Amino acid sequence: MSPELAASLMNVESRTGGVPRRDVEAYRVDGLAPSLALAPASMDQVRDVLAAAAETGAAVVPWGGGTQMCFGNLPEAYDIALDLRGLNDIVEYEPDDLTVAVQAGCTLAELNRRLGEYGEMLPVDATDPERATIGGLVASGFSGPRRLGYGSFRDLIIGITAVLPGGLVAKAGGMVVKNVTGFDMMRLYHGSLGSLAVIVQVNFKVLPRPRAERTIVAHYPALEPAFDAAMTVRRSQLLPTAITLLNAGAADRADIGGSAWTLILRCEAPPVAVVRLATRISDAISTQALALDVLEESGSEQIWTRINQALAAEPVEREIRVRLGSAPSEIPAALNAITSVASEHGLHVSLTVDCGSGLLYGRLAAESDEVEPLRRAWSALASLARHATLLAAPSAVKQGTDVFGPEPAGFAVMRSLKDQFDPNRVLNRGRFVGRL
Amino acid sequence: MRATALRERLEAVVGRDGVFSDPSDLLLYQYDASDEAIAGINRPDVVVLPRTAEQVAAIVRIAREAGVPVTPRGAGTGLAGGALAARGGIMIVLTRMTRVVEINQDDRYAIVEPGVINLDLSQTTKPLGYFFAPDPSSQRSCTIGGNIANNSGGPHCLKYGVTSNHILGLEVVLPSGEVIWTGGAAPEAPGIDLTGVLVGSEGTLGIVTKAMVRLTRNPEAVNVLVSAFPEIEAASHAVSAIIAAGVLPAALEMMDALTIRAVEAAYHAGYPEDAGAVLLVEIDGLAEAVAESSDMIVTICRQHGASDVRVATTAEERALLWQGRKAAFGAMGRLAPNYYLQDTVVPRTKLPATLRRVEEISRDYKLQIANVFHAGDGNLHPLILFDRYRLGDIERVLNAGTEMLHWSVNAGGAISGEHGIGLEKRDHIALIFTPDDLAAMAGLKLSFDPLQYFNPEKVFPAGFSCGEIAALKQQALLDKPGMHVA
Repeated sequence: MSPELAASLMNVESRTGGVPRRDVEAYRVDGLAPSLALAPASMDQVRDVLAAAAETGAAVVPWGGGTQMCFGNLPEAYDIALDLRGLNDIVEYEPDDLTVAVQAGCTLAELNRRLGEYGEMLPVDATDPERATIGGLVASGFSGPRRLGYGSFRDLIIGITAVLPGGLVAKAGGMVVKNVTGFDMMRLYHGSLGSLAVIVQVNFKVLPRPRAERTIVAHYPALEPAFDAAMTVRRSQLLPTAITLLNAGAADRADIGGSAWTLILRCEAPPVAVVRLATRISDAISTQALALDVLEESGSEQIWTRINQALAAEPVEREIRVRLGSAPSEIPAALNAITSVASEHGLHVSLTVDCGSGLLYGRLAAESDEVEPLRRAWSALASLARHATLLAAPSAVKQGTDVFGPEPAGFAVMRSLKDQFDPNRVLNRGRFVGRL
Repeated sequence: MRATALRERLEAVVGRDGVFSDPSDLLLYQYDASDEAIAGINRPDVVVLPRTAEQVAAIVRIAREAGVPVTPRGAGTGLAGGALAARGGIMIVLTRMTRVVEINQDDRYAIVEPGVINLDLSQTTKPLGYFFAPDPSSQRSCTIGGNIANNSGGPHCLKYGVTSNHILGLEVVLPSGEVIWTGGAAPEAPGIDLTGVLVGSEGTLGIVTKAMVRLTRNPEAVNVLVSAFPEIEAASHAVSAIIAAGVLPAALEMMDALTIRAVEAAYHAGYPEDAGAVLLVEIDGLAEAVAESSDMIVTICRQHGASDVRVATTAEERALLWQGRKAAFGAMGRLAPNYYLQDTVVPRTKLPATLRRVEEISRDYKLQIANVFHAGDGNLHPLILFDRYRLGDIERVLNAGTEMLHWSVNAGGAISGEHGIGLEKRDHIALIFTPDDLAAMAGLKLSFDPLQYFNPEKVFPAGFSCGEIAALKQQALLDKPGMHVA
């Protein structure tokens, strides 16, 4: 540690004396541990930490439950871990308004338990809802397969409060489901990986829990009939809330197993309608299926928990996880391309495809500790599809590459945003797109 | 740059038939659908009607060089003065860019130019089995570009969400003069969601020259129910009960007695004329689910005192019922020479209290107020009736409108649900947002438009540039004990 940095950290230490400390070992990012781990208990403490960091030039990495910390470029510097799990209140919940305001550190599971008491839910998929925090989910911006039925995560956000590195506490939106008062800062912060501001509170519109659900699991011998079945449903007026396609590797990880390709569709509706919906979908896709099961209620819910869990980002040894973005009709081409890249580099591949959105999640695993095949596989994948993101990888693979792929269109504006919101590059230094 | 020189440069870009600067030609463009008493008269120096993105970019570069402001405009149906040239300069009118460039059924999107009329798009795609969900009441004339600028709503956004939820990507001319595509057919493109921040930014961050919009599959079944209630309070309790029962209708609209009388006189839409309030509920989706939900809603309405519940069974009946609702503003001409349309939003459970407050305001200010609104999402549209030529009317109308904003804010709501801030409400935005909040928004504005020449004077309070807001804030922070700004 340089003497300047040591001095500035001492400065931060002295100025944040009231903020609870944590063991730095629990906050490694890409193998790096910070010098200081702070767990503020209030919004004021978050502001104090950020103001002190901005003044001293310390680099801060905000933390929630840590389920997505392997996402992002290698940190350019990492002095302070800012653990937001102490801010975990459900601030305001009026069930009849179908709105809720929650602090960033509350876990998704905790929020859904509370909403569930009133028959409501936040229909968002997460790999580990017991650990994943609301702030982390909003910052990393992942949206799972239920977006088909309920819209993407960002569409459920109606308000936000964030602390800017200079110490500004700024809110936007509100507690109403329709609102054009001021700029849509919710969409600015959502998915910006905590690189502009630290999210401290999010307001959502929530939904009534469906009164019944079914899941159809259909097995196919090859990609073509499975994908045709998915598109048949997509083109119809039937309305499943999720359509996911798994290859054998991914089905195995989710403990489903059984065939080369498995198509899984979720139906959520009132009780009479859900039975008819499941029957009509089954009829539409059964001709070429090897086998087809319909899971009811808890069986239906559990299979989705396993599918989401299987997408967990950690641990990362001997493998990389990628996300490719395609239009839904381009899915087969993307699948064939990723499969051939994997076999060319001798890697095992698990593939999970959200047929509703066209997002493809791939896990490519090596048999040895050699990183070169993984590195070469990513550089081949980076230019595939409409966009590609390296979600998780060993540090040696991340070295020298941008996990977000080539600079996106409009990067000049993104750079200006970073300069405006975080001129001293306090937050997630170097970790976001283009190493902002 | 002298006016003639500017005009000549613009003519070189779009041709002589695309540039207007005669006072008589500019007359139309100094108004939109907002009230002159609020927005004032804002005359652009020159109006340009480009046909391509390249032309828009060239105009923007000319404006930038000449140091004159740029104001984008669609059909001019905006109610908050967002499309008025508040500081003169060049107005870019996008109504000649009307091509539907692509319709992709498999991937459910259309690429359209900003001047395409909202309803035209849905009418083009409906026979193919798809529609564009945002449906503001002005959908027969408003443009997709204007919908994007204002993040427009409409009755069906209760279920389908506002415009922002239906925009996948944008081709946009930035204040730098650069033309970029944001977003696209594959979601979650890496980087900051520029599409998301551009939608609803009222033309202050960029000018959309093409939009990739989501197409939604036509529902299998649609039901429209009309329930007549003895008074508006009972109807608003029914709204809360429907939402709380876990049924999500496609639309849930309410009209009060005054509105019903006006609409019936003008259109004979078939609403029960003696009702204190009418609730219009549309349920769509899978045939079985629609039937199940309709039954539930009928039961709830009857429990809340609805005397007359009717179901429109044919497409014609449905269209007539909707026409009455969508043309309600026009029918106000039957009641008074002028009206001022307020747009506020409150949490849904605050609707009954809010409607009582509107009634009080009506009494206090001696002004008739008709209510026609998106009850399902708590978005009110009180129509304050008046006569422009009666002394003192305008002042009372404006004060009554402002009282409604104060009430909404105190009830936990916001000061605009779907019409935008524009010029109309810029000075009221401080009712909701602190200097901190506005400073962050100013940061967003400055990141796109450091010269602040795109649609100036909008959204932010009058008299403050974004730079000044940011500077004021820095000063406030410095003055705050224990706070330091780097």
